Amino acid sequence: MTLGLRGQERLRLALIYILCAVVLIWALAPIYWVAVSSISTRQELYARPYKIWFPSQPTLESYQTIFTQGAKFRAGGFSPTAHLMGTGLRNSAIISVASAGIVTLMATGAGYAFARMDFKGKNIIFLLIMLMIPLPIWVSLIALFFLMSQLELVDTLVGLILIFVTLLLPLSVWLMTTFVRDIPSEIQDAARVDGADRWRLVYSIVLPLARPGMVAVFLVAMLSTWNNFLIPLIFTRTDDSQPLTIVLTLFIGQYEVAWEDMSAAAVVTMLPPFLIALFFQRYLVRGLTMGAVK
Amino acid sequence: MQSRRIFSSDSIYVAVVLLPIILLIALFIYYPAIDTFGQSLTNRNLRVRRPAKPVGLNNYVKLIEDDEFWEVTGRSFKVVIITLPLEMVVAFGIAMLLNQRFPGRGVVRTLTFLPWMLPGVVNGFLWGWLLNGEYGALNGFLYQLGIIQEYQYWLREPEHLIIWVTVVQTWTRYAFPTIILLAGLQSIPDDLYDAAKVDGASALSRVRYITIPLLLPSFGIALVVEFIAAFQIFDVIWTLTAGGSAGGGMNPFTKTLMLYNYELVFRDLRVGLGAALSYIILLMSLAVGLIFVMRVYNQGVQEA
Repeated sequence: MTLGLRGQERLRLALIYILCAVVLIWALAPIYWVAVSSISTRQELYARPYKIWFPSQPTLESYQTIFTQGAKFRAGGFSPTAHLMGTGLRNSAIISVASAGIVTLMATGAGYAFARMDFKGKNIIFLLIMLMIPLPIWVSLIALFFLMSQLELVDTLVGLILIFVTLLLPLSVWLMTTFVRDIPSEIQDAARVDGADRWRLVYSIVLPLARPGMVAVFLVAMLSTWNNFLIPLIFTRTDDSQPLTIVLTLFIGQYEVAWEDMSAAAVVTMLPPFLIALFFQRYLVRGLTMGAVK
Repeated sequence: MQSRRIFSSDSIYVAVVLLPIILLIALFIYYPAIDTFGQSLTNRNLRVRRPAKPVGLNNYVKLIEDDEFWEVTGRSFKVVIITLPLEMVVAFGIAMLLNQRFPGRGVVRTLTFLPWMLPGVVNGFLWGWLLNGEYGALNGFLYQLGIIQEYQYWLREPEHLIIWVTVVQTWTRYAFPTIILLAGLQSIPDDLYDAAKVDGASALSRVRYITIPLLLPSFGIALVVEFIAAFQIFDVIWTLTAGGSAGGGMNPFTKTLMLYNYELVFRDLRVGLGAALSYIILLMSLAVGLIFVMRVYNQGVQEA
């Protein structure tokens, strides 16, 4: 009987692992394939029928190409895009880190105010911030483009950062408000009796305790900014501000694509989110599901 | 004296933290939203050198009488109608699997949720390359397994394109409903299943009569969020089928409402018309969102 049970358990586990394999192939095969493509030689990649699922001579040539020569077309010519990968990487890094940092600070300060303080207009202000979440972004984007033109903020990093911070505010403020609310208020009350003003209180007591929440908000904000495409599509024009998501689409010629180079560009574009998702997923899930799942 | 000092330092705190937020949102979201509505009542067109004139609701009428508008709207709903069930089936299956106890579950879960966290434009490119008719991996894979004898051009037939769009959208988004359903599954007490087992209920009927009814609220949340995501699909289509490069033409067979809106405003420069479209989209998503919420909510209330 015990043996039978153990056998049954083994069968259950075997079945589970087979199903896991199917799920993981579905989830990871496209990513694996693009990674393999990026380190394959041209001959192997364009062999028909495709036989090799790992390159026999892995090479980093495509990476070298995209950073030094830009996008290459299949016919062999180059487009004048040699520096775009470098500037794209720089722009992506600047706008995502800056937007995430600023929005995390703003949301922490505001989160404390909404969670722990009473003031006039609190509910209406909170509502106006949250109403942005279901609002389809296009209604604002069209006129916002002309506004940004007048302010001469189109195609600037500052302009992009301002827009991203604004768009990230509702979710971040909401998250920080719930995080601060979860911090036991006894500690804060004790500090207030000791005469600490709000700034001291937030800085020395709330900040350390809210750190996991701030990390979640920062990572979600950074990931959303890095991955975003629509905003830079509308608000950038040149390599002054174009991030990697835009550079990637510029590399796709309409009829000519050098797949091994494109794959390398795609890998570079998705590597930071990939690594963050691999190592900090707990924070991301909590933030991206608005804290519905802990 | 003491309390007045604290009071004033409190209002300074509130003003300093909230004013920048209020300013940003007012200037970048609400003011442009109102301005866009104003523009939707004009014939502003940047291709034509003339001052914009107020035209009342003409732009709205023009859109509603336009065949292309209905075609694009139909396509957007088609994307939603195919994507949502596909996503829910995939998500439910994976959530059931990840709800089992087994060694290595944490790793499998982390890897399973990865696609959701990657850039949408990359996902569109990944699949475009995978489905490539000449060198794509899907052809190579199926050929090696002997399932196909000839390489297929998966993305050639216009009527198949929209199906592939929904597949890629599903791949991009399924992690979110999976996470929501998994949380729902974990909140169902084991006693219920044990009791049903004692009563002799089969595994299938346990799913049918316990799991699914108790998961309805989770399905509700997932459906609403995924409706919004599928209705506003943009990045994935851009790199999968729309033509990619900034100057190229837009593939008419996968033009959904968001791409249409982009084309009207930023390619055709018909600002008034595009502004009107953005407000029609707002109304549509509001209406459909509400219907969804009420439907799901009512069902949940009735069956629970």
